[in-house]
Amino acid sequence: MKLLCVDGEPVYQEIISLCAQKEGMEVVTASSYEEAIQCYEVHKPDLVTLEVVIQGGSGVQLASALKRMDPGRFVPIIFLTSHISDSVMNSCFKAGADDFIPKPFNEMLFSTRVSTHKRQIHLIQEMYRKNRELTFYQSMIEREHKMAHQVLDHILTRSERSSQHLAITRLSATNFNGDLALAYTQPDGTRVVFVGDFTGHGLSASIGALPVAQAFFDGMDNQIGLSELATQLNKILLNILPDYMFCAAYMIQIQPSGEIEYWGGGMPRGYIRRGDDSVDYICSHHMPLGILSVKEFEADCEKAFLGAKDTLVVASDGIVELKNSDHQMLGEKAMEALVMSSYIEQDLNQAQSAMEAHLTRFQGKSEQLDDITLVAIRNT
Amino acid sequence: MSISVTADSATNTIEISVLGSFDFSLFHDFREAYADFIGEQHRFCVDLSQVEYLDSAALGMLLSMKNALGEGVTIELKGANDFIKNILMISRFDKRFEIR
Repeated sequence: MKLLCVDGEPVYQEIISLCAQKEGMEVVTASSYEEAIQCYEVHKPDLVTLEVVIQGGSGVQLASALKRMDPGRFVPIIFLTSHISDSVMNSCFKAGADDFIPKPFNEMLFSTRVSTHKRQIHLIQEMYRKNRELTFYQSMIEREHKMAHQVLDHILTRSERSSQHLAITRLSATNFNGDLALAYTQPDGTRVVFVGDFTGHGLSASIGALPVAQAFFDGMDNQIGLSELATQLNKILLNILPDYMFCAAYMIQIQPSGEIEYWGGGMPRGYIRRGDDSVDYICSHHMPLGILSVKEFEADCEKAFLGAKDTLVVASDGIVELKNSDHQMLGEKAMEALVMSSYIEQDLNQAQSAMEAHLTRFQGKSEQLDDITLVAIRNT
Repeated sequence: MSISVTADSATNTIEISVLGSFDFSLFHDFREAYADFIGEQHRFCVDLSQVEYLDSAALGMLLSMKNALGEGVTIELKGANDFIKNILMISRFDKRFEIR
């Protein structure tokens, strides 16, 4: 560590140098304002001692000049002076001094002060170092997230866009969404929709979306059946996900005739809001994807029907577990009421917006803890 | 500590009690709770009666426990409130665990 001693008197320069060297410090001395500025620039000291009266300017001005020169570095300034009135001391501290020792000074006291400052310098240097590391780490994470976003967004480009037949809302709890919604309409008009919810949320939860989307669209291209699709997705996720991760999902196939076939695992029940204002449910009967071995996996599907004026609404559990500012969950009853009131609207996208608005109002200022996916399907 | 472990030698049962919110924050603590018993023959019981909330990460942790202890080991999940029991049943945890 380096100390810059600024004092016009050679005697003091010598005493201060000796004391500081005993403390294991390298010492640079200067006797005038200009010399002090130069030494500070060249030697970049860690600690400075200053006399109030120096050649070529005042020590007080020098203190504020030095503090301004290198604002990114913490360099304590100790005034060592024979001018010890309260007003001088006050102006020294106002100019940025960190300590004040009156002359003539006690060697032991000086050493104690210096070692205290050294400790503080070490702490602050450590803090600066950690800060630099964190900044580096943060920019690295940001870059990686940007890349991951690009890759994850790309897989959704093949998915069908919103229309009067399909509305998809995805709200992420964090930067990344652990929910996945994919839709594809085959040339004969058969529509297949996948709604999935990976364990947890954030980047690790969204990574499983890549292989699922790939397998989903491959399956669509090859026109495989729903059971086969479920079996394939389960196998893929079983192989790639760690054992504490899985994917709750609905896979729903709707024929132009309105006949529905679906496979559900680990998802809350979905709603078929009938045109006559009644409601039927679709329920998942299986374990989520990625848990059961190929031998144990059950691929059997359920059937339902979507009439001309009906709306099928499925959502990830992020909605029923959405909390308001009183920490109360929305719950299934309120969810059903919202489905019934929102999807009375004839325009599907307006109905979806109404539903979103209700959810936003319910949530108020409370934090969204889980990803939310809301999918509404109509057949007309 | 929101996880406590008690071993009952008379019934050869290891009971793991979870308190409060059963979520990702307990990932390591929960694993540690059974790690010492892997490969041994015990009955296991996870007491959920003091759990207020359980998320999908907790379900994953339970599956991971089941995997680590092996197919032959019985794990009972007991005392779950209606909300939690509903979550367990939606994910058909009755296929892998004894839910009481």
